[in-house]
Amino acid sequence: MLEIVLTREDANTEFALLAEWLVEDRAEVAQGQPVCVVETTKATVEIESPGAGSLVQLYDDGIEVELGKTIAVVAESADELETAIARREPRSAAESKPTDSKATKKAIELAERHGIDLASIEKRGFITEKDVEAAIAKAAATAGPSTQPALAGISTAGVSLPESLDLDEDAGRLDEGFFESLRTDPEAFRALSSDEKIERYRENGAQIGEGVAFGLRTILVAPRIVVSPGVAIGPDGTVVCEELVAIGELTQFGPDLDLRCRRAYIGAGVWAGRSIRIGGGGHRDPWATLAVGDLAFIGDEAFINVCRPVLIGREAFVTMRSMIVTHNIGHSLLEGFENRFAPVVLEDRAQLGLGAVLYAGVRIGAEAIVASNSYVVGDVPARAFAIGVPAKVTGSAAHTLSRSRQAELARRMVDELHELLALRGHDVSAVSDGDGRGFDVEGTRVYFTPSYGGGGDSPAVVLTLERAGDVPDGVGVLDLLGRQVHGSGGIVLDSVREFCRKRGIRFEPGPWRYQGGLI
Amino acid sequence: MSAPSHKRCVQALNEGLHEVFAERDDVYLLGEDVLDPYGGAFKVTQGLSDAFPDRVLTTPISEGGLFGVAAGMSLRGLRPILEIMFGDFIALGLDQVVNGISKFREMYDDQVTVPLVVRTPMGGRRGYGPTHSQSLEKLLLGIPNICVVAASECHDLGGLLANAVDDDRPVFFIENKLMYGRPNRRPEEGHIGELAVRETGTRYPALTFSGTDFTEASATIVTYGGMVPIVLDAVTELILERELFCEVVALSQLLPMELEPVFESVARTGALVTVEEGTLTGGFGAEITARVQEEAWSDLRRPVQRVAARDGIIPSARPLEDAMLPSAGDVVEAVVALEAVRS
Repeated sequence: MLEIVLTREDANTEFALLAEWLVEDRAEVAQGQPVCVVETTKATVEIESPGAGSLVQLYDDGIEVELGKTIAVVAESADELETAIARREPRSAAESKPTDSKATKKAIELAERHGIDLASIEKRGFITEKDVEAAIAKAAATAGPSTQPALAGISTAGVSLPESLDLDEDAGRLDEGFFESLRTDPEAFRALSSDEKIERYRENGAQIGEGVAFGLRTILVAPRIVVSPGVAIGPDGTVVCEELVAIGELTQFGPDLDLRCRRAYIGAGVWAGRSIRIGGGGHRDPWATLAVGDLAFIGDEAFINVCRPVLIGREAFVTMRSMIVTHNIGHSLLEGFENRFAPVVLEDRAQLGLGAVLYAGVRIGAEAIVASNSYVVGDVPARAFAIGVPAKVTGSAAHTLSRSRQAELARRMVDELHELLALRGHDVSAVSDGDGRGFDVEGTRVYFTPSYGGGGDSPAVVLTLERAGDVPDGVGVLDLLGRQVHGSGGIVLDSVREFCRKRGIRFEPGPWRYQGGLI
Repeated sequence: MSAPSHKRCVQALNEGLHEVFAERDDVYLLGEDVLDPYGGAFKVTQGLSDAFPDRVLTTPISEGGLFGVAAGMSLRGLRPILEIMFGDFIALGLDQVVNGISKFREMYDDQVTVPLVVRTPMGGRRGYGPTHSQSLEKLLLGIPNICVVAASECHDLGGLLANAVDDDRPVFFIENKLMYGRPNRRPEEGHIGELAVRETGTRYPALTFSGTDFTEASATIVTYGGMVPIVLDAVTELILERELFCEVVALSQLLPMELEPVFESVARTGALVTVEEGTLTGGFGAEITARVQEEAWSDLRRPVQRVAARDGIIPSARPLEDAMLPSAGDVVEAVVALEAVRS
């Protein structure tokens, strides 16, 4: 097989235009016969066939081809012809399949989750999430109730749900007699110590990880109980679930928890404060599912009504005394009063301000903020800022900072941390700008550098916008933008992490809160 | 031979020239290396000197002289078209333009006109280095009484060129080096690909593109020439990856500035991004920004963003050149940055 290669005529050029084929694809050509015209900026040349045979075009004319590429081959036998045809790249334009409509990434993801065939959506232009949602609604209207009782067919776009949604059907299933005794005589069980409770649960089929602690008088009552390592529930807690309670690693609930629903899926690293009420009217309904994503925050005295699914995304904030309701109470719907039962969704990293109320059916988009004491009756788009009664979108939740501004804020954090440690009475050196802005405390250097290239004296805690190098022993690196912690460190590292958390920067791996130690 | 579904831009311009030459006999073409069989550095004039040997004149390498000769021809009633091999070389003829060509009509009280067309390719991304890669349109924007036209691969290139020849004003007709080899994609049934397109009925039309049939969008992007396909790529990426919809206004008339399509689009979107391949300071984007805030202050919800080349020279090494010139990624970043601005 003979190859026709586009050779370099001019050192400045990387591409040449394959202007015109002078012979048909698969035509017989003779040696020396001109087969095509190639244009570079400085010349137009005819290219001749290096031998006799059938010419197979590998590119269409009218396009630019990189120099050094083979543009055609001359097959000298039938076998060679077949091999040559197989080498041809898919024909562009007219012969490839028509692309009248393209689907967005969000639309493709949503369609896959709901088994929607994108080809069934007829539309000129782009197929968006909205179009797929309409198709889902249409399919639901014809197909009857959803087959997924846990989530009742709610769109989970923008919500990262906890892993426990995928648990085996029998994971953590209790012995029936034991479960019955928990229901009928909870007071006897409440009186046990944490270790005794854990032992009884384990003996009777529950999955309870290492390092779990249940506070005084706290009890979990459910046919299936899955509690991951490091979970802590404060004193006077009551958890009653008709089917299942699953709690992810390192999650903490404060005292006086009251959690009642049909299925509770709580993610890992969630932090929940004191006197939280979850349940309310309809908590035994078949749709009463609560799902809380990893690293979410639920503040003191928050109230979440669950008679329809409530989905709270990863790293979402439900702050103190905020309320989520999934139904209303009122006069007869036959007299024209509103009667509503509907799920509520808080997408990943969305934030509810103090005392905010979400009415049944609303969806708060990813990273959106609802201001304190707002009353939300309609959806809030992703990254919007909504405020008022009723809440209205008035702007964006965040703005993009330049790299130099980010560095400036990080340097100020170092100064604030230094001031705080000094006020706490620790022995700290003056702030200096050596290899990065920082100071020494407890024999450890704490400093900020915009880009950490690896190495450095230990022990040290490094704050950085970008980690580019390896971290030696005794150095802890906090990647402020990637929100990852690398390397290791003792009480100083934990203290800096906790300091950063209070500025909204949480690191993985790890729980929501760290031991403050020095601060 | 497979039939391409579209004409290439160089063919569209070449056919436009052939038609103009066939229709009127006062049109001449002057330039370096424009005769057949070479047919010009970018082959736009291919076949023209064989068909019209008396009216295609090859000239010495002397752009200043070329502008002067063309000025004289047009003062005497002819319609010369100059081909300046690289747009960078217009600087050699600018004295003729600034102190003569643009002024004769008013200096001689409307008794003469200077209807000449200067065709020239601008733009980089071919590794031609500091003096063969620039986009110098902004130097022309400060010259009153001339017309600057910069067509894109989505415009009717032959038609635009014919309109420039018919124009009684001096016209700079800016082409783009990368555009020549690309298909001339015209709207079909009001669409180019997935995007709906509206075209103004003006002599040098503006095209407005929308991914939502002009119902909603989060920003207007105004651009021209060789940046149009790059901006359309960015817009498609923003839609597919983020469901962020932008309208794109592709102007072809840069001077005199007529920004009605931009004002109309900004009224729908409330935000504006300007995109040009020339350097940032004192450019196309700066002028448009000033005019939009004057005319449409109440429509703007966010600060205007400008995307342009870095203020520097264009390196010869392709990777460095890419770092210097605005990319689709830069356009995506500008739109995403706008989304995050608190209004």
